[in-house]
Amino acid sequence: MKLLLVEDQAELSTSIKNYFLAEGDICEVASTFKKASEKLYAYDYDLLLLDITLPDGNGLKLLEEAKQERPEMGVIIISAKNALDDKLRGLELGADDYLPKPFHLAELNARCKAIYRRRKENGQKFLYFNEITINLETREVLVGEKTLDLTRKEYDLVHYIIVNQKRLLTKQAIAEHLWGDYMDTADSFDFVYQHIKNVRKKMLEAGGKDYIKTVYGVGYKLQQEE
Amino acid sequence: MNLIARISLLFILVSLVVFSIGGVISYHILMGEVQAEQKRFLIERLDRVTNRIERFQPRDTIRWSKMVSYPMADYQQEQYTFSDTLVMHAQLDRMEPHLKLDAIRNIGGKSYRTVLYDVIIEEDDIKDGIVESLITMYLILLGAIAIIGVGASYFILRPFNLTLAEIRNFSLRDPSQQTSFPRSSVTEFKKLNVFLKAMTDKVRSDYRSLKEFSENASHEFQTPIAIVQSKLEVLMDDPDLSEIHLEQLGAMQNAVRRLSSLSSSLALLTRIENKEFSNVASLDVSKRIVGLLDEFSELMDLKQINLQKSIQDNLVLKVDQTLIELLFTNLINNAIRHNFKEGTIKVLLTDDEFKISNTGKPLEIPASGLFERFKKSNQSSRSMGLGLAIVKKICDLYHFQPKYSVEEEVHTVQIIFYPSKESI
Repeated sequence: MKLLLVEDQAELSTSIKNYFLAEGDICEVASTFKKASEKLYAYDYDLLLLDITLPDGNGLKLLEEAKQERPEMGVIIISAKNALDDKLRGLELGADDYLPKPFHLAELNARCKAIYRRRKENGQKFLYFNEITINLETREVLVGEKTLDLTRKEYDLVHYIIVNQKRLLTKQAIAEHLWGDYMDTADSFDFVYQHIKNVRKKMLEAGGKDYIKTVYGVGYKLQQEE
Repeated sequence: MNLIARISLLFILVSLVVFSIGGVISYHILMGEVQAEQKRFLIERLDRVTNRIERFQPRDTIRWSKMVSYPMADYQQEQYTFSDTLVMHAQLDRMEPHLKLDAIRNIGGKSYRTVLYDVIIEEDDIKDGIVESLITMYLILLGAIAIIGVGASYFILRPFNLTLAEIRNFSLRDPSQQTSFPRSSVTEFKKLNVFLKAMTDKVRSDYRSLKEFSENASHEFQTPIAIVQSKLEVLMDDPDLSEIHLEQLGAMQNAVRRLSSLSSSLALLTRIENKEFSNVASLDVSKRIVGLLDEFSELMDLKQINLQKSIQDNLVLKVDQTLIELLFTNLINNAIRHNFKEGTIKVLLTDDEFKISNTGKPLEIPASGLFERFKKSNQSSRSMGLGLAIVKKICDLYHFQPKYSVEEEVHTVQIIFYPSKESI
């Protein structure tokens, strides 16, 4: 996956860039409207990560231009403004998603992967981790040949963990992914714990292994088989 | 009652008093004039009688119509006495007040007493005349006031009414709207318009800077928070870190997250206050509540909460969808969060109210303070205490009435959609 990140905050763009590089994606950074415009003109990207408050222009204008040139490119707006107007305007102009700052990099990663898959014509229909298979179309999780009977949130949880399989996922990042901003962190941790417990149980019952490693007090990480 | 009607009514009342007093005064002046005239007339007649007596020197009593004159036995001082008397009026056939002159005159060395009486205009007639003319004038005045009233409210108050219409259309949310007040040649209206123009411009610019501030504040806070958060996340992926380090980083991440949601919740409160959520449309609230309860059903299952719901179908409210969902989400969320394991939640929606009650620990602070910012029952809890403040703010916006009550271990929040005026 080839991304263009348009972000004027160097500290943030470095973190995002490194994160995607570690995922095996290509991520280029443009810090101004002008640079972004040049890059978009010259190269093809699968996905545009766009901050709409740029020092030399409005990101929405850039979005409009980019969408005219390359309608097939996915776009996620990342903005610190979290203004409803911008969000609606952005989605109207063809953005696929709107992610308010601050966000978890794991969340950004999951959303990018989802959009990339949706946009690609022969996009991936399955995600794999050892003997676990996720059917993205039917929203099913299989352990070997066996389909797990998961609730909606449990599916989201498994999917999130497997998309971010190389990462440590904090309870907070998981809670926000499952429930958005609705939940106050402290209370949702219990719910995350219980969901994880149920998922583990269901996987073990289906004959799978327990790959979800608890990092005490922090979160969870998918453990590769040694 | 409008201004003109009020002024007219006052004018009518005042002029009624003035006319009454004026009537009394006119009556007295007129009566005075008539009396003086009558006296002159009687004196004239007395002079004529005197002439006759001088010429004929009568020894007996002279009796003419309305006059008696006779010589007196002894010589006396000349004297004139006017007095009122009642005499039978010949034509009217009733007793009428007359003016009477009782005079003693010395003519040719002898005293003559002459008594004369007469009436030029009857007192009744004067009274009737005055009353009739005043009533006629008063009626004409009423007519004039009515015409002036209608004319004034149309022509003179026209600029004022246009100004009112302009103010009524005044909206902060529409930045392109230019308030322009009609020109008027009336000084007071001119002053009013100048004042209103200055005020609306000021309000507009204040609103704009407030809005910019709330946007900027949120933006300026969130950006450094986003940087911290991303750095923490990158750091936590370092495989060399011990669990102790990770735990500390996790705690930092939670704190950063709280800071961020605090800032965005405060920005949200400001936005609701600024009425930025103006995307109002008719919304099937029943469906939204059923949908939200469904979204939360897994959480309830995890806590083994028993949900009892009675949702009235097809309740439509004119609201902003984002806000109303936020309202119900906050309430449902609270009901789950502050509930016991294996507790109960009851949700009731009728045409007039939404009611959600849950089992939970008794409050540690008075229920009345719960809708205020940063008020929470358990101060050590990690919740921010802004949920109910947001609920309150949304209710204020739509004139809903939120009520909180707690009985035994059951907490109830009630939202009345159409509160009666008295209960507010």
